[in-house]
Amino acid sequence: MIQLLNTLLIGITAGSIYSLMAIAMVLVWRSTRVVNFAQAGMALLSTYFGYEVIQLTHSYWIALPVAMLAGAVVASAIELIIMRLLLKHSSQGAIASIAPIIATLGLLGLIKSVIGYFWGNQDLSLESPLSNVGFTLGSDTLAISPLKLFIIIAVAFLVLTLSFIFQKTNLGLALRASAYSPEISRLAGIKVDLVRTIGWALAGAAGGAAGMLQTANGTGTLSPDSLEFSLLLAFGFIAAVIGGLDSLVGAVIGALVLGLVLAFVLTYIGGSLVFITAFVLLLVILLIRPGGIISQKAGRRA
Amino acid sequence: MHKLKSNNISRLIGFVVFGIFLLYLSNTIDELRVYQGATVAMYVVAISSIILLTGYSGQVSLGHGALLAVGGYGAALVRNNLHAPVWLSFAAAVLIAALCGALLGVTAARLSGPYLAGTTLALAVGLPSIANQFKFLGGEQGLIFDIGLPPASLGETFSQYKWFFWIAALTALIAMWWLQNLLRSRYGRIWRAVRTQSVAAELAGINVARAKILAFTVSAGLAGLAGALLSMTISTVSPGAFPLSLSFALATGAVLSGVTTLGGVMIGAVTLVAIPEIADALTQRFGASENVINSLPGLMVSGLLIVVVLFVPNGPVEQIRHRRKK
Amino acid sequence: MVQSNRSDTEERNNNPARALDGRKHMIGKNRRKLIAASAVIAAGSMLLAAAPAQAAEQGVTGSTIKLGITIPMTGIASPGYNKIPGAMKAYFNYVNANGGVNGRKINLVVKDDQYIPTLAVAKANELILKDKVFALIGTLGTASTKAISRSAQLSARGIPSLFVNTGFSGFADKKAYPTSFSLLPSYQMEAKVIGKYLDENYAGKKVGLIYQDDDFGVDALNGFKQAGVNFAIKIPYASGSQGVAGVAGTWITKLQAAAPDVVILFGVSSATAAALGNAYAYKYAPKWILGSVGGDATTLAANKVPPAFLAGAKGLSFAPAPSDSSDEYIKMFMEVNATYNKGVTFDNNVVAGMTSAFLAVQAIKSAGANLTRKGLIAAIEKNAASFANPGLTPLGYSATSHVGATGYWIGTYDATGALKPDGGKYTVYTTDSGTGAVVVSTYKRPAMPAKGLPN
Repeated sequence: MIQLLNTLLIGITAGSIYSLMAIAMVLVWRSTRVVNFAQAGMALLSTYFGYEVIQLTHSYWIALPVAMLAGAVVASAIELIIMRLLLKHSSQGAIASIAPIIATLGLLGLIKSVIGYFWGNQDLSLESPLSNVGFTLGSDTLAISPLKLFIIIAVAFLVLTLSFIFQKTNLGLALRASAYSPEISRLAGIKVDLVRTIGWALAGAAGGAAGMLQTANGTGTLSPDSLEFSLLLAFGFIAAVIGGLDSLVGAVIGALVLGLVLAFVLTYIGGSLVFITAFVLLLVILLIRPGGIISQKAGRRA
Repeated sequence: MHKLKSNNISRLIGFVVFGIFLLYLSNTIDELRVYQGATVAMYVVAISSIILLTGYSGQVSLGHGALLAVGGYGAALVRNNLHAPVWLSFAAAVLIAALCGALLGVTAARLSGPYLAGTTLALAVGLPSIANQFKFLGGEQGLIFDIGLPPASLGETFSQYKWFFWIAALTALIAMWWLQNLLRSRYGRIWRAVRTQSVAAELAGINVARAKILAFTVSAGLAGLAGALLSMTISTVSPGAFPLSLSFALATGAVLSGVTTLGGVMIGAVTLVAIPEIADALTQRFGASENVINSLPGLMVSGLLIVVVLFVPNGPVEQIRHRRKK
Repeated sequence: MVQSNRSDTEERNNNPARALDGRKHMIGKNRRKLIAASAVIAAGSMLLAAAPAQAAEQGVTGSTIKLGITIPMTGIASPGYNKIPGAMKAYFNYVNANGGVNGRKINLVVKDDQYIPTLAVAKANELILKDKVFALIGTLGTASTKAISRSAQLSARGIPSLFVNTGFSGFADKKAYPTSFSLLPSYQMEAKVIGKYLDENYAGKKVGLIYQDDDFGVDALNGFKQAGVNFAIKIPYASGSQGVAGVAGTWITKLQAAAPDVVILFGVSSATAAALGNAYAYKYAPKWILGSVGGDATTLAANKVPPAFLAGAKGLSFAPAPSDSSDEYIKMFMEVNATYNKGVTFDNNVVAGMTSAFLAVQAIKSAGANLTRKGLIAAIEKNAASFANPGLTPLGYSATSHVGATGYWIGTYDATGALKPDGGKYTVYTTDSGTGAVVVSTYKRPAMPAKGLPN
């Protein structure tokens, strides 16, 4: 019984971590129609900045918002310098589908190399702010700890805030409009370029949070080749696709579904099937709903 | 119509001439370059599969490494278990990969842009671990893929690497000639139409889904062939030889070559092989710290990629063509 | 001719698809030219870099010997292993500063293969054909080593591959790999030694196992089977999956459900760290036995495993513990590390690197002033039994076998996370990769040569 409960909790926690990355990717997609593989790289860089802050202040709670801010700044810079150029030169033709992906992949490699140059390839250690020891229920220990609880709450807070921004504010409207139809938005007086940058900044902040939380939740080690970050990217993207790239709520749902399915498969079926399960899950969902779980019903020009 | 035929013949002659040139080259350059030449030939075939899939039919795949793996394993299994000759193992690689491509294509036809990218990414991440599930696939250490020594008729001193190069180059030449014919044929035009104006194409009577699936199948077959060539050059096939970075490298090579046209495919292939070595040479010449040595190759590849995508997004070939037209 | 041109133009205007085709006709020639041009450029660059003629014995001059290593310096498999070349260079520099080997200085060329077999082969080719090394040393990873052996035709070219960094038992087979020499004991040997320990201390108790689901793990399973160990629960993990959020947590919940008395962690460092870290979070504390691959205490500490949690766990090694400064080799290595490898923490990886470097120097010394590849291989086969050896097990090199270390000593992690041998002294158990029994070794390690330099 306790195993079942713990498996559920593991799935939810894992899902909330993927969802941060998924949210970041959906944010970028919704505001600029670009799949941003550099997201993990930006998250990694933000986490390194957070590491430096911790070295200075010994406080994770200061480092977290600083990392998010750093993420926002880095993301805006990238959008300003690289993405604008990219969209100008390659918005038509075959290259339109693949160029942004390749460019962001290139950025990912670039960021990793830069990190390797400044900080080296060795593992650095990031202290976790809260205890990761599980709460006790009677004689059993639960798979939920103060740290994990914090992560779930942080994710929920972020999702609610972002959804609020997107759905209820003018900024959110402008973000959605700029992505859907930039020309008409311009005509309506929306500063499309500025809005796009803001979209990236929000995504960068979410990514920074993802990086800091994922590192604290894991083994706390940081390195440019960190296994956890590479997998975070892949699984975050898969979660976003499962949920439907056009919906923030979808990102969270997709991530939770992924986390729960993996947790159950790992516990009750087999430990080797992680990667295959992710693929099969994705395939099954896309076969049933090609636009993800929460896909737009109306026909929409991609 | 006869103009078409004479063009076909002159193109064939062009390939043959190039092949003879490569033959001469293989006898004059040193062994390391010959080995790298075999790798370049492999990349040519692999990148061309991406050009077909993305540049022509407009579908994005981030997981072609998995299809290379299927080809490599197919070739190794056929050769090891059925003691088939090398050309038959290669043919098996193409067929098995094409079959997988067809299956994948059926799913892919329903998916658009990023969803397809996500699916192929998940495939690339998931497929290699399958090798560990089934004993006959050899697990992490992989299977042996030995194409044998060069035939005695070529002489005692004929090096193994030259043999690799001859096989790889010949395979690549034949594959490219065949592909170029295909792309110039009606199929090429259909794919181009599907990519640029799929609605109009549908209205014009083209079965878009069928065209997309066909593109995926052919592309997968080429990828499988490249995978067999890759396995030949390392004499083994194992999951570690087909990491996610391979899929990304192929996409990179396709962009560097110019994804919409086959003409520049060698540029991407040579760049992929040359850059790590150039980076190595630079760091050795200027004696750098360990951080730099490890980061520089990655930096150069990524930097070049970003520059190319930003300023020459359609590839150097299209750029030249564009300028010529003006 | 004119007529067909006109119809071409008309068709071009009416049918864009056909126009496209028409354009292609005209530029087909240009495309061919471009292919040829790019080929010429490619060939030209290759020719410009063509190599000069070869020397007598490649990699050896009157004053230098060049060795080459390909190893993951970056990439997900690199943490820890990327310290090995630095440690090797440190020891070589120490030897060079003290006269070298038979008057020659040793250079080590390091290439990063990111644990990918295709890169490993390409880099090995560069080492052999461009850098012209005398021998390879310390290749890491079963798949990469196999690929290099076959594709770079090490045996056909007679290139020695010294002290391969993998526990795969196949490389000790002289017939299959005549120029390769293992160093690490095989995973089967390790599993058998653990099996013996279980027999003597945990007979009748429930045993659990976490292992990597590839050859690394399968080798171990074979060894455990040989030793007659029956597991109450076996948890395989896909290589790499230990980094996926939540995975390691499921291992602990499964263990808690099966409730074994002893749990063997036979995975890589990141997996071991993930398991222990999560066990700590779940307050789950069985008796742990850490396999040597994932058992480096410094790496575990860096991975947030509190030393206090590790205390009492069992570990194995075939070399003296890095914390054992009373051991003459460790003391010497520490000094070398402090002088020639500044800033690098002294841990198992440094010990591993320096051990291979030390043995390489021994081997080269014993091959004599007239240094050839064949001579080196013969020297190891003939003389290795009398080599000075930092490891605590006898070296198994002989005319029929290329096995290096053949066993392990078992120790316990203390409160500071250092591994200390049980009973205060190193009791080494040796065995083979086959059906041989596990016995207590009577090997007395020869005294270290003066100042740790080859005698």
